[in-house]
Amino acid sequence: MDRRRFLKDVLLWSAGLTLTIPRFSIIPDVLAAEKPEPLLVKGTGEDYAALVTKVLAPLGGLGRFVRRGDRVVVKPNIGWDRSPELGATTHPLVVKALVQQALAAGAARVLVFDRTCNEERRCYVNSGIEKAVTEINDSRAVIEHPDPRKFVPVDIARGRSLSKWEIYRDAVDCDCYINVPIAKDHGLARLTLGLKNTMGVLGGNRGYLHRNLGQNLADLATVVRSKLTVIDATRILLRNGPQGGDIDDVKRLDTLIVSADPVAADAYATTLFGLPPDAIDSTTAAYRLGLGEMDLSRIRVVSV
Amino acid sequence: MAASVRKRRTVRWRRLSQLLFAALFIFLFIKTDYNGHDQLRWAVNILFRLDPFLGLSTLLAGKAVISLMLPSALLLVLSLVFGRFFCGWVCPLGALFDISHRLFGTREKTHAGGRRLKYGLLVFLLSASFFGLPLAGFIDPFSLLVRGLTFAVYPAFDEATRSFFTLTYRHGPGWLNAVTEPVYSFMKASVLPFADKVYSLSILSLLLLLVIVGLSFVERRFFCRRLCPLGALLAVCARFAPLRLAGGGEDCGACGHCRKICRMGAIDENREIAVSECILCLDCLDGCPRGLISYGLAKGKRTREIDLSRRAVVGSLAAGMLTPLVLPTRPLSRHADPLVIRPPGALAEKEFLGRCVRCGECMKVCIGNALQATWLEAGFEGMFSPRVMPRIGYCEYNCTLCGQVCPSGAIRRLARKEKQATVIGRAVFDKNRCLPYAKATPCIVCEEHCPTPDKAIKFREVDVPTDAGGSVRLRQPYVVDKLCIGCGICENKCPLSGRAAVWVTSEGESRNPDIYGGAGGYG
Repeated sequence: MDRRRFLKDVLLWSAGLTLTIPRFSIIPDVLAAEKPEPLLVKGTGEDYAALVTKVLAPLGGLGRFVRRGDRVVVKPNIGWDRSPELGATTHPLVVKALVQQALAAGAARVLVFDRTCNEERRCYVNSGIEKAVTEINDSRAVIEHPDPRKFVPVDIARGRSLSKWEIYRDAVDCDCYINVPIAKDHGLARLTLGLKNTMGVLGGNRGYLHRNLGQNLADLATVVRSKLTVIDATRILLRNGPQGGDIDDVKRLDTLIVSADPVAADAYATTLFGLPPDAIDSTTAAYRLGLGEMDLSRIRVVSV
Repeated sequence: MAASVRKRRTVRWRRLSQLLFAALFIFLFIKTDYNGHDQLRWAVNILFRLDPFLGLSTLLAGKAVISLMLPSALLLVLSLVFGRFFCGWVCPLGALFDISHRLFGTREKTHAGGRRLKYGLLVFLLSASFFGLPLAGFIDPFSLLVRGLTFAVYPAFDEATRSFFTLTYRHGPGWLNAVTEPVYSFMKASVLPFADKVYSLSILSLLLLLVIVGLSFVERRFFCRRLCPLGALLAVCARFAPLRLAGGGEDCGACGHCRKICRMGAIDENREIAVSECILCLDCLDGCPRGLISYGLAKGKRTREIDLSRRAVVGSLAAGMLTPLVLPTRPLSRHADPLVIRPPGALAEKEFLGRCVRCGECMKVCIGNALQATWLEAGFEGMFSPRVMPRIGYCEYNCTLCGQVCPSGAIRRLARKEKQATVIGRAVFDKNRCLPYAKATPCIVCEEHCPTPDKAIKFREVDVPTDAGGSVRLRQPYVVDKLCIGCGICENKCPLSGRAAVWVTSEGESRNPDIYGGAGGYG
């Protein structure tokens, strides 16, 4: 190979690089077909592992959502460098129990991750979630820091505000996505619940989304589809969210809210803060997109 | 014959030692990073704390004994007994010179002159430190090395590795990825930095390192022979060392082989070894065809004094004394650049610069990539000192690593609570750019990220008229000065492209409680 040939090849290769980054498009009709049942379970208990089992039971257990051989994503909120009692991140015991149940249901792999706001390693450590997942000591349970190579541009065909965004590959390309947010205060969104938790699977400049946050979150929910939303309200953060830091801003409820309907889960969780469902823009926007139910009278609530 | 085989082995011990210390250095370098615990166990700072040149310089600048730097006295004492063993057996930069020398081939000529410069430099730098111009870190061998590695070599290595594995990941077939991905995972867990980082002055630092390595092209160990102020200081001690290499002399075979192979040019026409220039590499011990050279107690006869005249000493001292006199002539002495934000725990500016050895470790360990090398913003003497550049990275609220690795205490070691109460600056809003003020658009990403438990950025709900004629309810952010610590996460996360709509200035910093920013102002 001579020098000229070599240079040509290099040019061709690098041009190919820019052209062939894979893109995902999800056919909206397929997604719209599965409209979840507005059944919601609310449970209270101090033993979080037992509580997880208890709240899943009326829905038929996690086995109804996770099939043998599934690639599962459990997506908690690990956004901040805060310890669990400060109510800024999902409680590690809730995450642990869900991962264990997914494994018991025969998942081939359970991936746990979040794109954090504070430094990644500190968040994973301080939230206790890294330890909780590694303690399970099962090679199928994986907690990883987002790998920048795995963010892929996804077309958001049904989006009203967003048409495309970079999303973590595993979040769109998995068999079962389980959303495990913590319920807490948020300056702009008022509360951060399930739909807001989706921001942890996004690449790019996420701050940009704040300009039309409610609609953007609803648009994203058309492509990042949770089969199950488990809202951690074991502790809720009432003020100075979403990051908190003062134990006096935290209220301990020992409660979990579970639903296959992401909109219903958010709508109901809003009431824990004494607010009506329509106080949260993303809930309303998602309801309008037909992603779920927000009318409390139409949501069947089972308390356990 | 048997004798020469035995001889060749001696040099191996020296090489082994260089290799081990280089490996230890690299290990410590990589470990100078967050390790999953709030306290670091290992850091490369031990190397700097062993450096008596920096020890003396910071002692003279701070006019106080710095306990962190006490280990450096040990090296002085050892050199008083064993000579300049450190340069030949321990120094990682010396090892780099010796290894890279192979690149330059053996184009050896013996230059005896030029050794004086390093002594002059040593005296000048120490004297300048004492009189208020701390420049020691500019040329200290470890500072040069660690800066070059931290700012340029390591990030470039990381970038190259990541690019390669991104290529294989995106375009390689499955069987290839089955091989490359585990390799990449292993490298990430062992030698690669956790996240890609950027550094100001990376190119300059790399060039400086390349220049001193490249000078070996002129002659072997050029830097060690002529420039290294640490080497000069150890040479002054080595002069008194009772243990030294000797054996050749006027009455040996006069073949001059030892002189030819000496990497330091330490052997004169009469085959006498200058003990202050000898770094005990043992080449001559192995190379002497008659096996005359050995290491042991000096036999009465004193070798030559070091190459330093009284005139040169006085001249360098005077230069170090007089140069700092021009410092107050700069506008800087009345008005410090308010965008130079020092890390939490930094001493007051003058003391800080006096102690800072420009080793770059705080910037290496900074978990948010916030600490960057200062250029001329803090004056010539401030070059390579650390500053927070929030648009590049912010100061992580719970992190205290920079104070843990600082070898000289220029950045104090702070407990977490103490750090969180240390104000390094304060944020101000640019309402002409901030979306809820300037564009009637919701945002407050800054408020979301503000880490103080009682947020220093709060908002007011305001009805703002829109272009279309209506009005919109917006949340407009503002800073509560008494809560803001200047961490810069607001500036960092501000989603505007280009300049942020909120930024940090050093106003109100704890180390300098004058609200008008120190000297001058409205005094």
